[in-house]
Amino acid sequence: MSVGAPTVRASRLPDSDRLFGVFTVGATGLLLVTFVLIPLWAILKNSFVTPEGIGLDNFARYFADARFITVVGNTFEVGISVTLTTLVLAYGFAYAIQRTCMPFKGVLRIIALLPVFSPSLVQALGLQFLLGRNGFVNRTFGTEIDIYGFWGIFISDAVYAFPHAFLILSTALAVADARLYESAETLGAGPWRIFRTVTLPGTRYGIASAAFVVFTIVITDFGNPVVIGGNYSVLAVEIYNQVSGQANFAMGAVIGVLLLLPAALAVTGEKWIARRQFASLTSQSVPLVPRPNPARDIAWFAYSVLVALAILSLVAIVIYASFVRLWPYNLSFSLRHYEFDVQNGIQPLWTSISVAIVTALLAIVFVTGAAYANHAFPMRASRILYFLAILPAAVPGMVLGLGYILAFNTPGQPVYLIYDTILIIAVCNVYHYHAQGFLLATTNIKQISSTFDEASATLGATKLRTVWRVTLPMIWPTVLAVGVFFFMRAMVTLSAVIFLITPSTQLAAVSVLYLDDRGALNQAAAFAVCIMATVVAFLVLTQLALRLAGIRGVNLVR
Amino acid sequence: MPLGVSMFLSLRGVTRRFGSVLAVDHVDLDLSEGEFVCFLGPSGCGKTTLLRLVAGLEILDEGEILLEETDLSGLPARKRNFGVVFQSYSLFPNLTVARNIAYGLECRKWAKAKIEARVGEMLDLVHLGQHAEKHPHELSGGMQQRVALARALAPEPSVLLLDEPLSALDAKVRESLRGEISELQRRLGITTIMVTHDQDEAMEMADRIVAMNRGRIEQVGSAEELYWEPATRFVGEFIGRINVLSASELRAGFDGPPGETALAIRPEHVVLSEDGAHSGTVRKVAFLGNTMRLGVEAGGQEIEIEVHGRRRRMNVGDTVTFDLPADRVRRLAVSSR
Repeated sequence: MSVGAPTVRASRLPDSDRLFGVFTVGATGLLLVTFVLIPLWAILKNSFVTPEGIGLDNFARYFADARFITVVGNTFEVGISVTLTTLVLAYGFAYAIQRTCMPFKGVLRIIALLPVFSPSLVQALGLQFLLGRNGFVNRTFGTEIDIYGFWGIFISDAVYAFPHAFLILSTALAVADARLYESAETLGAGPWRIFRTVTLPGTRYGIASAAFVVFTIVITDFGNPVVIGGNYSVLAVEIYNQVSGQANFAMGAVIGVLLLLPAALAVTGEKWIARRQFASLTSQSVPLVPRPNPARDIAWFAYSVLVALAILSLVAIVIYASFVRLWPYNLSFSLRHYEFDVQNGIQPLWTSISVAIVTALLAIVFVTGAAYANHAFPMRASRILYFLAILPAAVPGMVLGLGYILAFNTPGQPVYLIYDTILIIAVCNVYHYHAQGFLLATTNIKQISSTFDEASATLGATKLRTVWRVTLPMIWPTVLAVGVFFFMRAMVTLSAVIFLITPSTQLAAVSVLYLDDRGALNQAAAFAVCIMATVVAFLVLTQLALRLAGIRGVNLVR
Repeated sequence: MPLGVSMFLSLRGVTRRFGSVLAVDHVDLDLSEGEFVCFLGPSGCGKTTLLRLVAGLEILDEGEILLEETDLSGLPARKRNFGVVFQSYSLFPNLTVARNIAYGLECRKWAKAKIEARVGEMLDLVHLGQHAEKHPHELSGGMQQRVALARALAPEPSVLLLDEPLSALDAKVRESLRGEISELQRRLGITTIMVTHDQDEAMEMADRIVAMNRGRIEQVGSAEELYWEPATRFVGEFIGRINVLSASELRAGFDGPPGETALAIRPEHVVLSEDGAHSGTVRKVAFLGNTMRLGVEAGGQEIEIEVHGRRRRMNVGDTVTFDLPADRVRRLAVSSR
């Protein structure tokens, strides 16, 4: 082998890898500052700025109004009660799925995830059909249940948050060390004692994590409370009333800050818990496999079917109502609500699909790019970058949307160029759900052994070549999953984008809200069904394409 | 410069810290061209970090690494032209065997025809010609590591670096691959550094062994030198087995200040005899075929004695007498510094 003296002298000239690193980290940082930090800053600024100068006057005015204090109380009342209820229900459901041998687990699991595929106002819409003034129950039994208010929000948000709690608890219950259970059993512990001393402590981090996630979802939810809240107002709806109803941006900003604080605290709590979560299992653990136990399995099956029916009924009744002539007076089959002979017709659905596709494409580049930049180029700025990347998890959609208005709706601003286009909506979606996508991609990039990078480098490859030839071919299923996640979110989201739409860029989820507001419930239902159908069809097609390409085991629903 | 005076690869005061921990502590080492050197030591001794510093995968805190008088410290791994083989093979799973081997050549923008010829040559070198179009996961661990070797050697690197290349493999495969790597290294005459924690591997393969402990070099020498003349207590205990004499009764007759140096003797050098100078009680007996290992309590410490060939049967509780031949007792430094 020829071993000549190296022609290159050691140099400290700018190296192409360094340039690439500085570029990706810099670009990611710039985007996050522009689309997360600046809108947040705008909210803070507007909440403290008064005609008389900077101060707490806006907050003082807010708390001077007794009604607003009630709104804060309402938000926490709903947040805490729904969190507790959902935790208990979802824990039981996840337990039945992971720890028993009951039948039809696959179907039950899919039903539990259904609320993820629809905008958050669909649960409230279904509840209206079921328990509203002219709802199924009141008309059938002659009762006079009034669902508008606390109970309406309570039920619809419990269903809306259910899949999120279920997924977290299901993961927590999926991993267990059989040796612990065998030890407990040989020591003579009964099932209830085993549950209290082994199962529950083993899943405590999952429970805490799910609690924080559900609490955040519920207090920041806009769709369900606006539809079924009646006079029972919560913070997210109040922002909308102040901004869209009265054009009172300062008050909107104040409420935004009030909503931001508990959400940020909950997310901080969740991240703190999550870091402690996965240490309990070692490589020597023996996975726990549930053994059949007919009595127990039947009991849990009955419970799960009951929960699944409750979730399913809210979706099913929406679908049903979309196909009848005039709910609830004329229940004959009709397709006339699918003619969409209202203002923009079916156009909002196409706009939503365009926005969702653009969102997915932007997310694939920028969110996986952010995860890569943060992982591949550890530098002093990395911690800040990581913080910025997951900061959006703590920012309620209504707050982010209002921040976009306050920050970007000024001519002469660079971002103003895309204002009033679908691009700003897509960008808002990308940064609204940035944290989830970023963590999904980061987890996967981290799982790839760093020795591939090192092997590539020692063979003479630049980082750019390594990304193209080695990293991307290995993580593309994750990149795809990130795209699918953002497509789904963009199709169903309502909160942030409601401030950014224009008559020409109206979205399907917003149409459902407007139609419901006008009392055109059947048409609202039809539109909602179209959204759900699009999301499910997209998932099925992607999964099918993967199958045809011979790829299995890619989990697209997270 | 006159041939033979300058070293091929030189490490001068090489230091790497992780926080407050000195992973590699001012290491000096010279390698001549074509030499096969092993870094040997327990896990956490800094041997892998030192190799990664040479490869350019870690950044030096202090010191310099010279390749034929050229300082490499500012040069990133991809520009050093060193071939590296990792413990975990690290073959790119999405590329075929042939494409894996071609990877480094493509990075160097070789002509297509030249790449193809070189890949064929490398495949023949590691006897995997018929597997060129397979993907890594279709090959056994041993075959994958041979591909990794071919991939590292293909771009004609100036130094070959092997990071525990055999420790992920079964014992049988390990044996045969040891021979194959040594043979390849000699045939190509490529300067090679291998990291291992397995003393047998180091003794069988290396021209010189660098025994490392806690970030420092304890001793550098051939396998024979390290076994027969260990410089430090660490080397004596890490390579083979050794008794450190702590009982004053056993130390009697060997002068020297205690504490600064340790007196030690290998188990096979302790001589059992009817009228030995020391006596003790047998506490352990292990029959290992052609040898027998005794644990004998004498003067308040346990001495290990290895007896070869057939002897009368020993039982726990027996009293034995033995000698510690003065020319076999070694004086070991407590540490290298």
